[in-house]
Parts: sequence; structure tokens; C-alpha cells
Amino acid sequence: MHTLTTGPWTPVALSADLPVGTVIPARIPAGSIALWRSESGRLSASADRCPHRGMSLSHGFVRGENLSCIYHGWSYARSGKCVRIPAHPGLEPPEAIRAKTFAVEEAGGVIWVATDEAATTPPVLEGLMPLRSMTTSAGIAAIEAAAGAKATAEGLVVPAENADTLCLLLSARDDGQTLIHVLLKGETTADSRIAASRVAESLRRAAEDLQKKGIAA
Amino acid sequence: MSIQAMIDEWYPVGIFAQLDEAGRNTMLMGEPIVVTKDGNARVTGRNGRSLPVKVRYGHVWTSLGEPKKDLFPIPEADQPGRRFVDVGVVRVRCSPLRAVENFLDIAHFPFVHTDILGAEPHTEVQNYKVEIREDVDEVWATQVKFYQPQAAKSASGGITTEYMYRVAAPTCTVLYKTCPPRPTEWDVITLFVQPLTEELCDVWPWMALFDDETSMTDLIHFQQTIFLQDRSILENQIPRLLPLDPGMEIPTRADMTSIAYRRWLKRHNYTYGAQLVAQ
Ligand code: FES
Ligand SMILES: [Fe+2]
Repeated sequence: MHTLTTGPWTPVALSADLPVGTVIPARIPAGSIALWRSESGRLSASADRCPHRGMSLSHGFVRGENLSCIYHGWSYARSGKCVRIPAHPGLEPPEAIRAKTFAVEEAGGVIWVATDEAATTPPVLEGLMPLRSMTTSAGIAAIEAAAGAKATAEGLVVPAENADTLCLLLSARDDGQTLIHVLLKGETTADSRIAASRVAESLRRAAEDLQKKGIAA
Repeated sequence: MSIQAMIDEWYPVGIFAQLDEAGRNTMLMGEPIVVTKDGNARVTGRNGRSLPVKVRYGHVWTSLGEPKKDLFPIPEADQPGRRFVDVGVVRVRCSPLRAVENFLDIAHFPFVHTDILGAEPHTEVQNYKVEIREDVDEVWATQVKFYQPQAAKSASGGITTEYMYRVAAPTCTVLYKTCPPRPTEWDVITLFVQPLTEELCDVWPWMALFDDETSMTDLIHFQQTIFLQDRSILENQIPRLLPLDPGMEIPTRADMTSIAYRRWLKRHNYTYGAQLVAQ
């Protein structure tokens, strides 16, 4: 199995895919998480499981600076602490009711989540502009083979034939899928972005074919 | 999780009025079964084994074991003037026990059945009474009250609705609620759950109502809307099995019915669909 050495950090999503006041599901090696951005723009990552009755928190909703569970509306602050139980409006929720949280950082348009309380910072991706993310059933070795290039320690693959324009940021997920963030180099135009997106899609298809044939297994 | 203690129970496996000779291929606790009609209802298990059959409350009931008790009574099923509604089936990828527990819960109304069974800011759950009635061996919750924008198809505008909940069998529960056209009676809404496996079930709601105005189609549609909303929750709870050991989930006062239900399940070793040790 191929391992990337981004330390405890996983690139889980692109900033553009998480608008203010929304929550989305994402995955880190520790499991599923709910990634959310408060109304004032602050990012948070919590385990995707409400401590009350186990409902997935990524199905919830953001209100103000809190994330609420869709089942009974329990609200959690960025720290993970439960701040409101609607069934008991007069009750101050006990300290012990907490959703597990993870460190989260945003740099250069990419959102990174750390598995443990990270003293380090996520890798810096100089001069790259995020375009879009996609998932694939292909593993990292198959993607490397399709791109004709090896991944760096940060998980960056520069496809041999498109080295001037394109860069793929890979993240192996716990469900066997690989998350690919497509990043662009230098100046771009609407046309070059469409072209880069097509290149990335054909690389993904090629990698999936290789994976199926078992060449890169 | 074991099948043993629950194997002698009766389970719903189809709507009697909808049976035909061709039969319905389905499953009960992992065993493929066929439900057919030749005059009466017949249920056949593995290797052509004939299973016990009952037809009651609009549904065909069977068991993989040897039922020691008759099917639980619902006296309202024989009361003149009620309309009986076979709502149909909703398949849910969840533990049959989770499906029952969700049915016993009112705190989710404002968030899951928004503007139908509940609405913010009316989220408070008042204290109610819960008991395990030893004589009938059932879980009962009474004096449950909740503010509802549209409690039933026959309700126009918001009212505080009173409920009673009753768990009559490990996967069968009966709800009694305020009946707007007849203040002295209760509308009866049941949830009969057919455990296909520990993590998959067919849910058969059935109703006995005093409502002469609403069309059958509207009554069925109303209940199906509610159950589809519940399904979006039930298929996204982790773990899929119902945790019976404390520690995995955090109940509050509003969850007293659920606490009693879990305790009752554990006491009887009704653990098909349950998780016993926190994982
Ligand atoms: S499961 Fe989240 S509030 Fe109840
Ligand atoms: Fe519900």
C-alpha cells in the first residue's frame, strides 16, 4: 500500500466547495467527518456522529457559529461542546456532551484536517490554484502510472505530459477510493481551465483502467 | 446479538388484501419466505416448511419459531366507526429496533417533520410518564404532549397533541393520539416492523382512525411522507445496530421512552438488531 507523508494532515476539500454557513461530509484516515463553515466564515471539523443518537452530523445544518444535528437539533460549537438541546431549552448542556473535533487549516484554497492535535502546519503548495476535486476507485500507484510521474511526499503528482499546466494533489481514503484535487499552475483562462479539467478526467479514466487490469495493483 | 429470544414472536410479512396466488417472496430474520394466498394466507419457509399464520390488523403475521403467546391485542381494531388504513411498506436500511425507537421519539418532530408534526420554536419536551407494565409485559409512555402545526390530515392549524406510546412486541409499537373530530377517543397509528435482517427492515404502518372526510389516498400519502422523512434519519445513524449498552449514546429526559425500551429489550434478551458491547 502506498503511503503519503503529509504528516497528520489530509487535504479533504477545496475552500470553494464549502461556502459560508454550510456543512459537507469528508473523510480522514480516522473515519468520516463533518466539515463546516460558520456564518462568520470560521472552519471546523468534527467526527460525523452526533453523541446523542448517532446521527450523521454532516446531514445537519449550520446556524450562526454552531453546527446543529438534523435529528433533534442539538447544537455544537467549534470546540465540539454541545451548547443547546432544543427538547430542554432551559437546560445548560453538561460539559461532558461533546462531539469529537479535529484540527483544520485552510491554505491556498485547500482545506486540510489533522488526525491529532497537530503542532505542525499543513504543506504549503506554492503557485498552485485549485480547480476542482474528484474521487476515483483507482489507487495512488495506478494514478502515478497513468500520469507517468511519481507522487511527492506531499501527495503531488505532476503529469508528465502536462507538467506546465497541471498538478494533482492525492489523498488515499479509508474506503479504498482516492480523492484527487486538480490544481493549476500559473496564469489561467476560462479555456485553459476547461482544458485542464478534461485532461484530469482522462487521467482518471486511464488510472481506473489500469487499476481494473491490475497492472498497478 | 442473537435470534433466539425473538424467534417465537409474530412478525408482519405483508398486507392481506394485497396478496395473490403468485405470492410475495420476502425474508424474515435472514430466512427467505414466501407469502401466498389460497383462500387463506400461507407462509412457507426454507425447504417448504409451513410457518404459523395469523391474519390481523390488515396484515399477515408469521413466526420462524413456535409462538407461545397470541398476537398482542388492539381493541380499537374492533371498534365500529373507525377507518382502517393499510399504509403500505417502506423499506429501511436500519436495525428493526432503531425503526421502533425512532417511532417512540417526539423530540425530532420539529427538525425531521418540520411544519407537519412540529416546528421551531416549539421544541420543548414536557415531562411524561414511562413504565413497563408487568401484567402485559409492555412498555408504556403516557401524558406525552407536543405542539404540532398539523397533527393529522384532519387537523387544520396548530394544536397541542397528546400521545400515548406502547411497545407491544420487540418490533411492534402502537401510538394513540388526540383525535381532532372526537375529543373523547384516540386515533391509533401503529408501526409493525418486519426484520429482514439485523440491519434491514420493512416497515408496515397501519392506522385505525376516526376520519370520514379525508380520502384514503390522502391518508396514505400523509403517513408515507412522514415515514420517508424518518427513513432519511434511520439510514444515517451510526452504528446501524441499536446500542443497548450505556456509554455509546447520551440520552436526556426527553428520551425516557427509549431508555425504557432498551432496558426492556435487554431484560428479555431481545437483541436481534442490537449491539451489546460498545465498539
Ligand atoms: S442524534 Fe443528534 S440531536 Fe439527536
Ligand atoms: Fe418521525
